[in-house]
Amino acid sequence: MFNSKKTLIASAVAGAMIVSGAAYAMSGKPEDKAQASGGDWQAMIAANDNKYLDAKVVQAILGTDARERLVKKMDPNNPYSFEVADSIDGGAHGNMQCKVPAAFVTVHESANKNYYADADYKAYGFGTPIAEAALDKWKIHVDADGNGLPSLDVGMTVQKGGDMYIQFCAMCHGEFGEGAKGYLPLTEGNPLPLSTSDVNDPAPVKTIRNYWPYATTLFDYNRRAMPFWTPNMPAIGDAGYMGITGYILQMNGIPLDDSGTLIEDDDFFNAEMLLKANKYLANAGNFMCDHRPVIANERCMKDCPDYMVGDGKGDTTNYRTAGRLPDGTPQYNVEQRIEVSPPGVGHHGF
Amino acid sequence: MTDKVVEKVAIQTEESRNQGRRAFLKGSAAVAGGVLFTQAASASPVMKFDAKKAVAPYAGREEITDVLPDPASRKMLGWGVRQYPYGMPSPFEKDVQRRTLEWLTPDSMASITMTPLQSLHGMITPNGLHFERYHGGGININPADHRLVIHGLVERPLIFTMDDLKRFPSESRILFAECPANGAMEWKGVQLNSVQWTHGMMSCVEWTGVRLSTLLKEAGIKPEGTWLIPEGADASGMARSVPIELAMDDCMIAYAQNGEALRPEQGYPIRLVVPGCEANMWVKHLRRIQVTNVPLQHREETSKYTELMPDGTVQNMSWYMEANSVITYPSPDFKMQGPGRYVAKGIAWSGRGKVDHVDISFDGGRNWKEAKLTSAVLPKAWTRFELEFDWDGSELLMMSRTTDETGYVQPGMPQMRDIEGTNNVYHRTAMVTWKVHAHNSEFGGMIENVQF
Repeated sequence: MFNSKKTLIASAVAGAMIVSGAAYAMSGKPEDKAQASGGDWQAMIAANDNKYLDAKVVQAILGTDARERLVKKMDPNNPYSFEVADSIDGGAHGNMQCKVPAAFVTVHESANKNYYADADYKAYGFGTPIAEAALDKWKIHVDADGNGLPSLDVGMTVQKGGDMYIQFCAMCHGEFGEGAKGYLPLTEGNPLPLSTSDVNDPAPVKTIRNYWPYATTLFDYNRRAMPFWTPNMPAIGDAGYMGITGYILQMNGIPLDDSGTLIEDDDFFNAEMLLKANKYLANAGNFMCDHRPVIANERCMKDCPDYMVGDGKGDTTNYRTAGRLPDGTPQYNVEQRIEVSPPGVGHHGF
Repeated sequence: MTDKVVEKVAIQTEESRNQGRRAFLKGSAAVAGGVLFTQAASASPVMKFDAKKAVAPYAGREEITDVLPDPASRKMLGWGVRQYPYGMPSPFEKDVQRRTLEWLTPDSMASITMTPLQSLHGMITPNGLHFERYHGGGININPADHRLVIHGLVERPLIFTMDDLKRFPSESRILFAECPANGAMEWKGVQLNSVQWTHGMMSCVEWTGVRLSTLLKEAGIKPEGTWLIPEGADASGMARSVPIELAMDDCMIAYAQNGEALRPEQGYPIRLVVPGCEANMWVKHLRRIQVTNVPLQHREETSKYTELMPDGTVQNMSWYMEANSVITYPSPDFKMQGPGRYVAKGIAWSGRGKVDHVDISFDGGRNWKEAKLTSAVLPKAWTRFELEFDWDGSELLMMSRTTDETGYVQPGMPQMRDIEGTNNVYHRTAMVTWKVHAHNSEFGGMIENVQF
C-alpha cells in the first residue's frame, strides 16, 4: 500500500498503536523514483542471461544495501517493485493492488505468449454457457472495494448482532472475542506492539484491532466459512452475518469516521456502515506488497565473508538448539520426539 | 564404448553403412566411409579396472563364515494377484507416515500434516504421503456433480463438467507444492529435530490437467480482467487473489496427480495449480473462478499468509516460494555410524524456476563444495543433490545452499532474520544447519538441528 497519505491517516487513527518508524511506506523519497526509472535495467538483465535476481544485477540496479533495496521496492516505478500506485477507490484505504514486478522478465514473456499475443485462439466449445444470474448462490465473495455486499436494507442492530454472536460464535471465540478452547482471540485490549521481533519476546497476537487491514474481509470470511461446522448458515442469513460483523468490529473499537465515532449498540449495521469502518482499520497503512527477495548474495565457495558464516559475524559456536529430552539427549528418532511440547515462544497459528 | 560406436555408425553414409557394419561384426578394425573403427565390441577391452584395488578397503575386515539359512519366504507360497486391488507399501514401512503437531492448531479440520522427507527418495512424493492442509476438513466430492464456473469479466461465462475439462488438451508437470508456513516454527530458534517437522509442509508430484490460460481464453477473458478469484467447494470456501500475469504464465487446473485422480486430500476432483507459488493459492475442490479487476483481500491474504516485519509493517500478496534446500541425509532422524565415507543427500527447489547449483558446507558456511544434481532438473520441482564426503569423526556444521536459475542464492538465517525479524511466520526459507556431534563426544554421531 504505497501511499504516504494513507499511512498518515492510519497513524492518526491508530494513535499509540503504531510505533514510530513503523512504516517504510512513509519514506517515498522523490530521488528513489528518479533512480528507478533511469538506468537501463532491461539491458542489464538481458546481458546477464535473464538472471534477474543475480547479485551483480540486483546490486547494480537496486544498490548494495539490503535495507536500501527494500525501501526502493516500495516505489511502484521501481522495476523490482510489486507495488501498484493506488487508484482503486481513490481514498486512503482503497483496495491495495500488487503486481508481478517488471523485472521478472520470464513470467511476463510467458504471459505474453500464452495470452496477449495469442491472436488465433478460438474456443474448443467444450463448456456450456451460463447466465451470471444462475450463480447467485455461488457468488459469495465480497472484495475490499465492497463489491458483492448485500443491499442496504440487509442488516440488524449491533445489539442483535451481538446476540447472534453469543449464540453461534462465542463458544469458540469467547463472548467478548477473548478466545476459547485454544481458538485465538478476535480482539485484545492491550496488544503487544507489532514491531517486536527479539528472539526472546513473545510473538504479538494478531487481531482485527491491531492487524487486519480491511473490515470487508470480516463479513466475507464470516459468511464464507463460519460457523466452522456449518458455514453460510441460513439461520444466520446475510442480515445476521452483517450484525455479527458489526458486533465484532465494535468489540475491536473500529471507528466510523475521522473524529473517531464508535459503533453503538443501536446502530443498524449494514453495508454502508461496513464500508465506513473499512477505511479505519488501524493497521491498513502498514500493509504493502511482497518485497522479497531483498537479499542478493554472491555464490561464495571459499573463505566466505563473516556475514555469510555462522551467526552472521563469523562465529560458528553461537547457535541455539532445540529442547532436549528429559535425560538431556538431543531429540533423536524416538517416540518422545513425536510428542514435542508446545513452544514457549513462537507464533500464534497460521 | 557402445555409445560411441552407435554414434559413429549413425554418421556413416548409406553407401558405407554395410561395409562398416560388416567390419564391426567381424570384430576387426576397418576404415568405412571415413570413420575409423579401431576396436570392435567383441575384442577384449583394455582393463583399467583393478579388482584388487577396488576391494582394498575391506582388507582386514572379519568375514562372515556361518552358513546363511534359507529365509521363511523361500518356504511358502506367496499370495495371488489382486489380493490387494489397490497396492499398499510393505507393512515394514508403517512408520513412514504423514504426521502432525497437535499443538499447532486447535482442531484437526483446520490443520496440517507433514511429509516424511527423511524417508523419501527421488523427486516424487507418493500420493499417500503428500502433505495435507485443511481449512474446513477433508471431503469426498462426487465428480459427476462437480462443476467449474468461469465468470465475471469474460465475454461468455461458462460452466464445465469434469468430462468437459478432460476433453481439453492436457499437460503434465512435476511441481512442488509448498505451504508458505513451511518452517514457520523456527523463526525464533529451533525446536524440532526432524526434517519432517522443519520442511515437511511440502510435496512434489506430477500434476496433470488443463492450462488455466486455455480455459480463460475459452471464456473470452476481457482486457480489464486483471485478477482471478478462485474459490473452493468445501466448507472453507478457500479463495485467493491471483494476478493475471501469474494466471497466464503456467497455472493449471489439475485433475490428476502421479497418474491417478487427485486424492481427496489434494482437492478431488480438481484443484488450481500455481507453480512455484504458495500452496495456499492452489485452491482445492475448485468450483468457481471469478475474473475481476480488484483483489479480494480474503482473510487468507490479509490476516493470514502475510508477513509481519520487525518494524511493524506487513507484506502481503507474497506469492513466490523462494529457492530453498535441505539435507535429508544425514539429518536429525539418522545417526552417523562412525567415521568413514558418507553420501550427503537432499532436495533443492525454487518457486522461480530451475535449480542451478547446490553447495554444501561442513563448517557452518565458511567453505562450500558443489553437490551433484542427481535427478531431472525441472523448473519449480524438487531437484535431488548428492555429495560424497569423508567424515573424520569431528564435529560438523552441515548446511546446503541452492542457487536458482534467476541467480538468487539462498541466504543464511542470520541474514534473513536481520531483514525479516522473527514474527514473520511465513516464508522462512533460509538455510538450516545440522550439527553432527563428534564421534568421541557424549552424543557421538547424533545429528542435531541448530540455528545460528
